[in-house]
Amino acid sequence: MSKTLKHDYPIHIFLVLAAIITFYPFVFMVMTSFKATVDFQHNFWGLPHWVQITNYSDAWTRIGGYVGNSLLVSVSTVILVLFISSISAFVFARFRFPGREALFLMLLALLMIPGILTLVPAFLLVKNLGLVNTYWALILPYLAGGQVFAIFVMRSFFASLPEELFESARIDGANTFQLYRQICVPLSKPILVTIAIMNILGTWNDYIWPLVTIPDGRRWTISVGIVSFGSSYMGTESWGPMYAGYVLASLPLIILFMFTMRYFIAGLTSGAIKA
Amino acid sequence: MAQLTMGRSAAPVAVPQERQISLLKRIMRSKQAYLILIPTFALVLTFNYYPAFSALFHSVFDWNGYNVQRFIGLGNFQAMLQDPTLMGSVGNLFKLTAFSLFVNLTFPLLAGALIFHLKNLRLAYFYRVLYVIPMVVPGMVVLGIWKSIYSPQIGLLNMLLKAAGLTSWARPWLGDFNLALGAVMFIGFPWIAGMSTLIYLAGFQAIPTELLDASAIDGAGVWNRFWRVELPLVMSQIKLIVILTVIGALQNFATIMVMTNGGPGVTTMVPGLWLYRNALMYGKMGYACAIGTALFMITLVLTYLNTRYLKSSVEFIGA
Repeated sequence: MSKTLKHDYPIHIFLVLAAIITFYPFVFMVMTSFKATVDFQHNFWGLPHWVQITNYSDAWTRIGGYVGNSLLVSVSTVILVLFISSISAFVFARFRFPGREALFLMLLALLMIPGILTLVPAFLLVKNLGLVNTYWALILPYLAGGQVFAIFVMRSFFASLPEELFESARIDGANTFQLYRQICVPLSKPILVTIAIMNILGTWNDYIWPLVTIPDGRRWTISVGIVSFGSSYMGTESWGPMYAGYVLASLPLIILFMFTMRYFIAGLTSGAIKA
Repeated sequence: MAQLTMGRSAAPVAVPQERQISLLKRIMRSKQAYLILIPTFALVLTFNYYPAFSALFHSVFDWNGYNVQRFIGLGNFQAMLQDPTLMGSVGNLFKLTAFSLFVNLTFPLLAGALIFHLKNLRLAYFYRVLYVIPMVVPGMVVLGIWKSIYSPQIGLLNMLLKAAGLTSWARPWLGDFNLALGAVMFIGFPWIAGMSTLIYLAGFQAIPTELLDASAIDGAGVWNRFWRVELPLVMSQIKLIVILTVIGALQNFATIMVMTNGGPGVTTMVPGLWLYRNALMYGKMGYACAIGTALFMITLVLTYLNTRYLKSSVEFIGA
């Protein structure tokens, strides 16, 4: 034990120092979010002298709507992505049909097309379809783009499942949908969770696309809303409500992460994402 | 009824009979597979392929997105070369990409290697979780925090300098012509929390224990073990990080837009933001498509160079 400690000691110094520098801005944010403006002005570094909980209620009245909009968009997107991509990945992994390789290559090629190339025509398309200022302007393109990576990861996972499982189910009279629903989906829960979290992170954090397609401030997602919210405080010294808003904007993802951390880290480090 | 077999294992038996059936019949038999794939391809064709081809097509047009559409050949590309803002932005993009590449190839690699070298596995897991947590803070919140760190009056950075007695060093970081780009690059210091560290760590953990034991028996110290054994064996991960970083850096203009909006003046302009402004503020859609096309070409070339010239770990094991 003592030998282990001695070996690890210098490493800990580095890792802890790096963690402190990384986390200090977040700690400062949480600390300040409870301070009244006067407290912040005279007590920049210290703990709050009293807890100004109205910072949070003030911030929530301004950004609560954005959080709701984002929840709606991200949750709808992730459900549709998981459904469409798992069933398509199932077809690519377990069916043989003419054109399979070519069709898959067509999806693969999309990983090479940068979003910045498609930005302008995609916006005009959404506009011509009359979807501007609707959540469909976000959900449909997110679904189209999000499924590609998901199909990619799930296909290789489904293909690695032993054929005997499917064979015996087929002998028992299972149809295609049952094979998908009762064999593929239950066996791939960890990978579905990892894909789901990555998809939610992506849509929650996206800034440019909702900025372009949702001009109506009441329908903004949290990423667009929080930037505008934060900017309105930048010239002032009342950073308590500003940081309270930042904390509130982060909470949904942190809660999600708390419940799924094990799956997520295992999924990320297991190499599912690597290839 | 579509045929349900596992691609590789069942192929040798199935193929000979398969050949005798005409292609049309095979397509008919697989109609269930095609039906299931319709939503996927309908979405991809509408929201990815159509806009991509539209962008490439319109890059040779003078186009405002609505009624004006005039073929001008390579006119947009010639205009790009004579556009001082765009040319300046390319320099910025180069600096940002090079710096981002440097950062992602050093700090997270070091952090991943150090976590891997920990003897206490429970603490190793603890650090891994610790370094993932900042990943789930929304990107725009992180940028908001950094914007406040750089704030001229009461920003953390200037307050820190004042507390250290270096008041004369205090600056309006993001408003300074010479420092704004550097300030944007510095965001996220020390750059260890995130995807890169996890990817490196996964690479280290995949190294066969026998190889590490063998190097220990041969008397390799920690330093030699890292340079001669571990580093060559995470080349696949390094390759992946290089490509992800380059593609990410070339495309990302949200950071610049939120932090400085290209300013002060156009000193921190990047091509993506210039594309955005040309399209959505000046109505020069054709010109914007040409900038997008150029960025696409650069991405293609860099991806090709990366896959062609960077060795992956497997080649090292084979050699």
